[in-house]
Amino acid sequence: MSMDLLIAICMTVIGAATPILLAATGELVVERSGVLNLGVEGMMLIGAVTGFIVMFTTGNPWLAVFVAAIAGLLSSLIFAVLTLSLSANQTATGLALTIFGTGFSALAGQNYSAQPVELFRSIFPPELVGHQVLRLVFGHSPLVYFSLLMVVACWWFLNRSRAGMILRAVGENDHSAHSLGYSVIGVRYAAVAFGGAMAGIAGAAFPLLLTPQWAERMTAGGGWIAVALVVFASWRPFRLLAGAYLFGLVMTMELYSKAGGGPLSAIPAELWAAMPYLATILVLVLISMRRSGSTSAPACLGKPFIPSS
Amino acid sequence: MIRINRRTALMLGGSAMALPLVGGRAFAQAETPLKVAFMYIGTINDNGWNYAHNQARLALEEELGDMVETTYIENVPEGPDAERVLRDFAQAGNKLIFATSFGYGDYVLKVAQQFPDVKFEHATGYQRADNVATYNARFHEGRAVCGTIAGHMSETGQAGYIGSFPIPEVVLGINSFTLAARKINPEFTMTPVFISTWNNPAREADAARAMIDQGIDIIAQHTDGPAALQVAQERGIVGGFGQGADMSRFAPDAQLTSIIDNWAPHYIATAREVIDGTWVSEDVWPGLAEGEVVIGPYGEKVPEDVVADAERVKQEIIEGTSDIWTGPIRDTEGNVRIEEGQTMTDEQMLTIDWYVEGVNPPA
Amino acid sequence: MLQYRLEKRAEPSRIMLYAAPVLAVVLAMIIGATIFAAIGYDGIAAVREIFLTPLTNSYKWQDLAIKAAPLIIIGVGLAVCYRANVWNIGAEGQYVVGGVFATGVALATYGMSGWWILPLMALAGAVGGMAYAAIPAFLRTRLGVNEILTSLMLTYASVQLVYYLVRAPWKDPMGMGFPQTRLFSEAARLPTLIPGTIVHVGVPIAIVVAIIGWFVMKRSLMGFQVRVVGAAPQAARYGGFSHTRTIWLALLISGGLAGFAGMLEVSGPFQRLVPGFPTNYGYTAIIAAFLGRLNPIGVIFASLVLAITFVGGELAQTTIGLPNAASGIFQALILFLLLAADLLVRYRVRSVSTSPRGATT
Repeated sequence: MSMDLLIAICMTVIGAATPILLAATGELVVERSGVLNLGVEGMMLIGAVTGFIVMFTTGNPWLAVFVAAIAGLLSSLIFAVLTLSLSANQTATGLALTIFGTGFSALAGQNYSAQPVELFRSIFPPELVGHQVLRLVFGHSPLVYFSLLMVVACWWFLNRSRAGMILRAVGENDHSAHSLGYSVIGVRYAAVAFGGAMAGIAGAAFPLLLTPQWAERMTAGGGWIAVALVVFASWRPFRLLAGAYLFGLVMTMELYSKAGGGPLSAIPAELWAAMPYLATILVLVLISMRRSGSTSAPACLGKPFIPSS
Repeated sequence: MIRINRRTALMLGGSAMALPLVGGRAFAQAETPLKVAFMYIGTINDNGWNYAHNQARLALEEELGDMVETTYIENVPEGPDAERVLRDFAQAGNKLIFATSFGYGDYVLKVAQQFPDVKFEHATGYQRADNVATYNARFHEGRAVCGTIAGHMSETGQAGYIGSFPIPEVVLGINSFTLAARKINPEFTMTPVFISTWNNPAREADAARAMIDQGIDIIAQHTDGPAALQVAQERGIVGGFGQGADMSRFAPDAQLTSIIDNWAPHYIATAREVIDGTWVSEDVWPGLAEGEVVIGPYGEKVPEDVVADAERVKQEIIEGTSDIWTGPIRDTEGNVRIEEGQTMTDEQMLTIDWYVEGVNPPA
Repeated sequence: MLQYRLEKRAEPSRIMLYAAPVLAVVLAMIIGATIFAAIGYDGIAAVREIFLTPLTNSYKWQDLAIKAAPLIIIGVGLAVCYRANVWNIGAEGQYVVGGVFATGVALATYGMSGWWILPLMALAGAVGGMAYAAIPAFLRTRLGVNEILTSLMLTYASVQLVYYLVRAPWKDPMGMGFPQTRLFSEAARLPTLIPGTIVHVGVPIAIVVAIIGWFVMKRSLMGFQVRVVGAAPQAARYGGFSHTRTIWLALLISGGLAGFAGMLEVSGPFQRLVPGFPTNYGYTAIIAAFLGRLNPIGVIFASLVLAITFVGGELAQTTIGLPNAASGIFQALILFLLLAADLLVRYRVRSVSTSPRGATT
C-alpha cells in the first residue's frame, strides 16, 4: 500500500469518525451523570438540519455549528424536563425524542434538499492543507480539531475538576450526592444539555464535513453508533477517541477493500456493518470478566432519581 | 395536488362508514376528474428517484388539468404498510394508482385483486394481472451515453460505480456503461461498490472517496442522491454523472452530463388511456427514443468532439442501430456470453446477473 | 398570588391513572392543531384526520387491528419484563430473529402442506426470540453486563442478519436478483380471520396474550415473584425468590413473545422475508409498554393509540396534504405528553396561595 493511499485512508477515517466522536463525547458525559439518553440520533438530525439551514442562508460555518449546538441543546431539554423533572422513563423518552427529531428535521428541511453548501474547510494555509503528508495534520475541518479538543476537555473535566467529580458522584450514587447537598437534578440537567449541544454539532458535521447537502435522515444511524461507542469505550474519554477511529476504520475499510479488491473484500457487507455492535458486546464481556462481576458502567445509569426528602 | 375540502372529506368518511370492510364495492362516483394516486418509497425531496416521479406527477396535472386529481404518500416502506396505503388509495376513489418501487409488487397484486376496477401501475416490477401493468425505463441506454463520455475523458481508464444492490437493473447499468466505454478505450475498467442502501449520502460520499483514492477518475452511481458527485467536485477528478435528475447545482464542474428520468410521458399517456377506457395491462419499457430517458446538458468540461460522439451513440440507440449490446460480449471470466452478431434480448437484459469484461467483479 | 407545588401521592391516583392519558391526548390535539395551523395547514382537519377518521371509518379498523397486534404481543412481554426491573430494550432484535427462525421453517417446508407447519413456525419464532434474549440474560446473570446495552447492540446485529440472509443464502431464485426470500407457500401463511379483510389470527391472539399476561401478573405466583423481585429485590431474597431466575424468566418471556410476534408478522402481512422486515415494532412496543403503565390490559389501549397515529398520519397525507414528517412530530408530541402526564398519577398539583405581603417566606 502506497504512502499516498495510507494518508488518504486516514483522512477518510478521521472524517467518518468525527461526527460519532462528537456525539459520543456528549453522551459519555450524560451517561456518567447517570442518565441514558437514547435520543442522540434525533438530536443529531435536528443539529444537521439547523446547521445546514444556517450555513445555506449565511454561509458562515462557525455560526452554523453554533446554532446547531443550540438546537441540539434545546431538543435535549425536552428529554431533560420529562425524565429529570417529571421522572418519566428514560428509554421511552429517548426513543420518542428520536421520533421527534426525525420528523422535525424532515419538516424543517423540506425546502432545502435541492441545495448544496460549502464544506467547513481547514483554516490552515493552502500549502499545508494541500501538502502530500502534512495534510494529515493540517488538512482537516475545524470540527475535527474541535472533536479532539473536546475529548481532552472531557477527560480533564471528569478526572481533574471538582465539578467533574460531583458529576461522577451523581452518576455513581445519586442519593449520597444528594445528601451531601449537591443538586442531582441540576447536575443532570447540565449534563443532558451538554450532550444535546454535542449531538447538535455532531449532526451539523454531516452537511459541513461529510457531504455538503441536506437529506432526510442523513445521519443514517450515526447516533446509535455513538451510543454503542460510549459503551465500547467503557465510559472513558481516551478510549472513546481510540474507539471512534476504530469504528471509523471499520466503516471505511469495507469501502476501500471493495473498491480496491483484496482478501478483505470477501467479508460480507453485513458483517462489516454489524462489527461495531458485536465489538461493543465483546468489550462489555471482557471488562466484566476482568473485574469479576461488574462493568464500569455508572451505577445509576438509566435509573430515575427521586429525592427521598 | 388536491386538497379535499372539509365537505368532501366528510362525505368520503360517511360513505366509507356505510360500507362494511374491504371487498365491498369501491366508490362508484360519477365525478369527472380521474383520481390518480402515487406511492413513493422515499421523500419527494431526494433530488433523484422520488423527485423525478413527483415531477412527472406535477407534469400530469399540468397537462391534463381538470381531467385529473392527484395525491401522493411519501416514505412508504416496502412492507405491509404499502398494502394499507394502496387500499386507502383505492377506497378513496382513485382509479389509477402508481406504485413506484420494486418492493411494492406483492402488495400491488393483493390489493389489485380486491379492487378489479382500479388500474395499478407498478414501476420496475415484473408481476402483472388484469388490472396491474408494469413499467420501467431503459436507463441503461443513458448509461451507454455516459460510458462513451467516460471512455473518451478518463485519464486513468478506471471508473467506479456506486450501486445499492446487485439487481439486474443495476448490473445492466454497470455493464452498459463499461461496454460503451470499452468501445472507445479497450483498456477501460470499472469497479462497482455496493452499499446496500438507496439513500445514505454520507456512505455514498465515503464510497466515492475510497474509489477516488485508489485511482478512478470517473464516477457513476445508481443511488438516489448527489453525494458522490459532490465528492468528485471537491476532489477535482475528471467527473461523474447525475442520476435521475440534473445535479449540476451540486457539482457544476464535475457533472459531465446526467441521466434524467422523465416519467411524464408515461404518466400522461396512461392517465389518458384510463380516461378513454383503452387501458390494458402490459409491460412497457421505453427509453431514449420515447423521451422517457433523457440525457441532460453536457458539462463545460466535455470537449466538442466528445459531445458529438456521445450524441452519435445516443442517436444510434434512438434509431435502433447501436452495437453496444451486440456480441461478441465476454464476461469477466472471458467466456463469450453473447455470440458475435447477436444482440442482447430484453429477456437477457432483465435477468442479467453477470458482469462484462472490464468490470472488476465484486466479491 | 398563586404558586404550584408538586406533592407525591401516597398511592398512585386511581382517577388520574385513567384521566391522565385522556388529558394527554386532548392536549396533544390542541397543541398539534395549533402547530399545524401555524405552519400553514388546516390544523383542525389535521387532528381530525389523524385521530378521528381511523376510528370513524370502518375500513380503517382492520388496519388499526393489524398494526396494534404485534405491538400488544411485544408490549405485554416487555411490561412483564420491566415489572421485574429487567430492561430489555432489544425487543426489536428478538422480534427480527423470531421472524428469521420462522422464515427458516417456512423455507425448509417450502412446497409442503400440512396443518403442522404454522405451529412449528410459531414455535421456531418464539424459540428464536428466546434464544436471542438469552444472550443478554446470560451476560447479565453470569457476568453482570448491563442488559440495556447488550440487548440494544444485538438489535443492530439482527438487522444485518436479515440483510445478509435475503441477499445471499435465502434469496428468491425467481426474484430477479432482488434481496428477498421466496413467497411462502400457502401452508406457511397466516390465515385471515374475516374473509375479505386483512385481519389475521394474530389479532385475537394478541388479545388473548394480553389477558393471559394480565392474569399471570395479577394472580399467579410467578407474577408475584416478578413483581416482588422488581419492586424490592432485598425483600425478594429473604422470601426465597431467586434474582437470577427472575432475570432469565423476564428476558425469556419478553424475548419469546417478541419472537412470536415476529413469526406472526412474517407469515401474516409479509409472507416472505424482505429487508424491510425490521419495522421498529420492537421499539414502538417499548413506548406502548410504558404508555400502558406496564399493565397488559393497558398495553392494548396504548398500542391502539399508537396504531391510530400511524394510520391517521397517513390519512392526513392524502386528505389534507400534511407532510409525512408532520405526523412523526405529532406522534412524538403525544408520546411526550403521555410520558409527562404520568406525573399526575404519582403526584398531585397543590396550589399554594401566598399573599404579597407575607411573601418573605
